[in-house]
Amino acid sequence: MKLVDYLTVDRVVKLEGATKTQALGQLIDVLSSREVKVSRGELEKAVWHRESLMSTGIGNGLAIPHVRMAGLVTSSMTVGVSRGGIADYESLDPAAIKIIVLIAAPQGQHEIYLKLLAKVTQVLKHQQRREAIIAAESEQQIYEILTGAEG
Amino acid sequence: MSAASLLAIINHTHLPALLVVGLAIFFGTIGANIFQKLRIPQVVGYIVIGIIIGRSGLNLIDEEAIRSLLHFNFFALGVIGFMIGGELHLDLFKKYGRHFFVILFSEGMGAFFLVGSLVFGLAWLLLHDFNVALSLGLLLGAISSATAPAATVDVLWEYKTRGILTTTVFAIVALDDGLALVLYGIASTIAGVLLGQTAGGGFFAIIGYTVYELLGAVVLGAGSGFLLSWILHRSYSREKSLTFVIGSLALIIGLTLILKVDLILSTMALGVTLTNLSPRRTNIAFQMVESIAPPIYVLFFVVVGAGLHIAGMADWIWYIAIAYVVARTLGKMIGAYLGARWTGAAPTVRKYLGFCLFSQAGVAVGLAILAGDTFGGNIGNSIIMIITATTFLVQIIGPPSVKYAVKRAGEIGLNITEEDLMHSYKAGEMISRETPIFTIRTPLAQILQTIADTDAMVYPVVDPQGRLAGLISILELRQSLAEAQLAQWVVAYDLMQPPPEGIKENTPLDKAVVSMKQQNLECLPVLAEADDCRFLGLLELRKVNRQLSQEILRRRQASES
Repeated sequence: MKLVDYLTVDRVVKLEGATKTQALGQLIDVLSSREVKVSRGELEKAVWHRESLMSTGIGNGLAIPHVRMAGLVTSSMTVGVSRGGIADYESLDPAAIKIIVLIAAPQGQHEIYLKLLAKVTQVLKHQQRREAIIAAESEQQIYEILTGAEG
Repeated sequence: MSAASLLAIINHTHLPALLVVGLAIFFGTIGANIFQKLRIPQVVGYIVIGIIIGRSGLNLIDEEAIRSLLHFNFFALGVIGFMIGGELHLDLFKKYGRHFFVILFSEGMGAFFLVGSLVFGLAWLLLHDFNVALSLGLLLGAISSATAPAATVDVLWEYKTRGILTTTVFAIVALDDGLALVLYGIASTIAGVLLGQTAGGGFFAIIGYTVYELLGAVVLGAGSGFLLSWILHRSYSREKSLTFVIGSLALIIGLTLILKVDLILSTMALGVTLTNLSPRRTNIAFQMVESIAPPIYVLFFVVVGAGLHIAGMADWIWYIAIAYVVARTLGKMIGAYLGARWTGAAPTVRKYLGFCLFSQAGVAVGLAILAGDTFGGNIGNSIIMIITATTFLVQIIGPPSVKYAVKRAGEIGLNITEEDLMHSYKAGEMISRETPIFTIRTPLAQILQTIADTDAMVYPVVDPQGRLAGLISILELRQSLAEAQLAQWVVAYDLMQPPPEGIKENTPLDKAVVSMKQQNLECLPVLAEADDCRFLGLLELRKVNRQLSQEILRRRQASES
């Protein structure tokens, strides 16, 4: 599995807001603008329903919100980076969330969905890589660090 | 038009044979269903319906209609003989052979002596004619020794019995026709002398003919069995095998009629030969014949009932008939008990075998008709009347007493197949209760720990209201094992797949299993019958199969112990 197959540079954004709601809202905007079959409202509902079960802040400043829903056509990811950090994103450790990777998959792509979750976790577990992403000047740079990391 | 005039028209119109067949099967099955609901063996239902629509009742099936079905009746008897033969494995004879023959002899002779002496005494008292009384006693005594296999075996099959009592009943009812024929041969010779008739050319001629009738039947059946076994070994299609078996049965039945040898004994010899020559291959043949047998049995018993003519009997005949039934019942019970005691047979055989030997039909009626033919007049007709009336009575009390016996012996339901078991269970009774249920919030780490401790392949996930939200299959879970960190923040909700449509807890298990196989599913959610459709548990094909196999093994062991 290669992240390059699921991420395009136009799905990488610098996060503008400082709260979880604003950050997720921005990522949902990006995703829904490229998904013709699913409305923004449906996507937002699915993301927040999953967050209500257990926060997807997994520690080390990283969050991986994820949804699986009927209506989506392909599995994809959207990445948001916040230098200031999002303090109200509950996480497994006290660190503020700086990188958010939103993963969305169609209901039928269960295997890809789980592999994608594992792959993103694996790529971003290296501290240097996370720091490089946070320090990156442009979306293009972030994209290259993420996809280039696979070797 | 009134119902009476409609009946009169029907009675004067000869119904086509196929319409009679249709009427008999249709109403017979309805009757059997009603009787089954009353917990009375279905065969009683067939016979009662036969009586209602036959000569003693509405006369929808009259004598001519019954005559037109004569050959069909031969075929039905042949099928019954064949199926009984299939139950008699030689290893059983090796093990219990001595038991079988001693018990057979004592129950047959018990009935012969008790019926013979009571009928003789009563007839002498009523008719004041020693020779007629003794002839009646001898002939009815001989006839009383026969036990009809059909109705008895039908009860054993209906209640899926298995065990030493069942096996003994199979052997006895199959073999005591032979004893009855020998006794009748001797009795009719003596009666012929007593009544001043030469019935068929003297004692030795009759004994010779009886030996021919029995031995000829065995030779014909066994010989055909060897031939058919050879053919079945070379026939690879089930349909062709069935055709050969049915063809052979018809052929043998036809030959027994031409050669005048015993029909049931002949087809039974065919069954015994087949099942012992190549048990595995011929097992399919027996299964196939069994699967087409039910309508044949229904028709046979309805016609038996329809043929009974119970009106218009003289008073003294009623008295003798009652004495006959009482003496025969006692004779069989005492004889079976003593025979079982002498041979040291199992307690269940000693206590309950007698109850299984009341039924009387084909051979008894056949011998009565033969007696009517040979002796004619008062004696011949009264024997036919007595056997007809008592056949009616014992056919009604026979099957329930067989049921009582096998129930007390604990043999009911021990000869059950997986299909029967599946039909008797409900989906809710087979839920895998030890399979843990996760909530949508259960973290992967906890799921992995639980999976390590249990052996299920699929785990249900429920929402906070207890409704099934999805299923987690351990095969799909492999994906999430690639990255250890996932265990901390991935929950059941992320891992589950949407569940297939559930079934209600009272759905019959066989229906649920068919549904799983059709959808290629390994499990099905079972939901409460109540409106909230609460999730109760998973029905797992793998576990259902395991539980059914264990249950069948348990019942087989119970039948052998």
